[in-house]
Amino acid sequence: MMLWHKAWRETRTRFLVSAVALVAFSAAIVLAQVPIREHAAALPGFRSGPSYSLHIYNFVYSGLLKTAFIWMIFFLGLGGLPREQAQGTAGFTLALPVSRLRLVSVRMAVGLAELTALALAPALIIPALSLAIHQYYPLSEALHFSVLWIICGTTIYAMTFLFSAMLGGEYTALVVSIVVFFVLDLIVSLAPLQPYRLKLLHIISEFGTMRWDAQHLVLSSGPLPWARLAIFSVASVAMLWTAVRVTQRQNF
Amino acid sequence: MMLCYKAWRESRTRFLVSALTLAGFCCAFVLYHHDARTGIGDQSASYAGYIWHITYKSYLRDLFVLLALLLGAGGLLRERSYRTSAFTLALPQTRWRLVSVRAAVGMAELGMLSLLPALVIVSLSPLIHESYPLMQALKFSVLWTICGTFIFMIGFLSSVIFDGEYTASLVGFFALLLYSAVVDLPAVERYVGDIHDIMSGAGMPYFRQDAFVLAGPLPWSTLANILLVSLVMAAFAGVITRRQDF
Repeated sequence: MMLWHKAWRETRTRFLVSAVALVAFSAAIVLAQVPIREHAAALPGFRSGPSYSLHIYNFVYSGLLKTAFIWMIFFLGLGGLPREQAQGTAGFTLALPVSRLRLVSVRMAVGLAELTALALAPALIIPALSLAIHQYYPLSEALHFSVLWIICGTTIYAMTFLFSAMLGGEYTALVVSIVVFFVLDLIVSLAPLQPYRLKLLHIISEFGTMRWDAQHLVLSSGPLPWARLAIFSVASVAMLWTAVRVTQRQNF
Repeated sequence: MMLCYKAWRESRTRFLVSALTLAGFCCAFVLYHHDARTGIGDQSASYAGYIWHITYKSYLRDLFVLLALLLGAGGLLRERSYRTSAFTLALPQTRWRLVSVRAAVGMAELGMLSLLPALVIVSLSPLIHESYPLMQALKFSVLWTICGTFIFMIGFLSSVIFDGEYTASLVGFFALLLYSAVVDLPAVERYVGDIHDIMSGAGMPYFRQDAFVLAGPLPWSTLANILLVSLVMAAFAGVITRRQDF
């Protein structure tokens, strides 16, 4: 139980700042939908129309909030024993009567729980606040995107977690994670790999797979891309497992 | 001089990783332009259009913005967490000077990062029998340096306000995101320029969208205003640091 508390104490500021920002952005996008949509309609090339679901998709699941969520995950994965060693506190943590596997797995579990809570926040706020302004956004649709955010977010989290298990500098793991993310995004965007549609930024927002209903009023997604999500999940597990092995073998 | 060296030592890993990354991306954009153009850019666009789209408008610019924000991290509050701030404060220098030297080194690093795309893209393009005008690239470097300074200052200012590990960078990132959202609002955009559009030239009177080139003089008054705001932010950071009780 103490390990859980330790992991929570280490990440709670980042988590709470992220949660407040996510809730505030979600609320602003819903409550200020009229001026935002009026302005968006005047922008050249911006897909806008009378549909409330398009507004939510543009600003939450394909725009501002998605970007915020992705970058906050980079920060959630940071920390770990190399950072503690740099601060001179790793000795205290390693003196605890628990294995390194348990140390890492508890930190991982707390991080993933925080990630899940952040991914679920818009699904709770947006349908509820939409009713307050006499609009409707389907809970099933919001949960659909939450699942995408959890699985794709876990991949980003696992990558940052892995680099923070390997690199001790305060910002080095963060910078390297961001760089690797951009490199991978570029590689899967190249022509030979494009047909496989492995671009995380597209999958997390269902880019190019959203469909209108018959009345052209509600924009909704199709079934979840399970095959691609499975690939991401396998990659996440592999990276997290590597992080455990790296930590077990470190010489401190 | 020693303070400059100290600031350099503290930020050099971030700077060198950033420089290698930006240079590496520029190399890849030029050398693998066929694949990248099909996958990312507009295949029918000219080489100048492809370079503008992938480097100066979206991909590399997004990365540059994030790296500029992270370069602003660090400072006395972080040193206090490591219990090394007493050594720094024992130096026979004012806090004002400590802050200003750190800001100056960060801005110099940012200037160098801004110049990298100009140097790499212009020099590598002949290898693939294409060319990109040096003056165009240098003009974009000027835009990136000054607008990047503003972004750097967001990270810098949050680093003197927020204490926790990574908290300053995270808050700085949200502040930048909030700025990007608010500046697009009709009531605001009349008075405040969008730094992202100023950097890329998209929709700006000094940018020709049909040829993807910066035409005419740069918006010097806008850039001067951005620089002034950045310097005010640096001064504000100095005032906060002077009043901190440690």
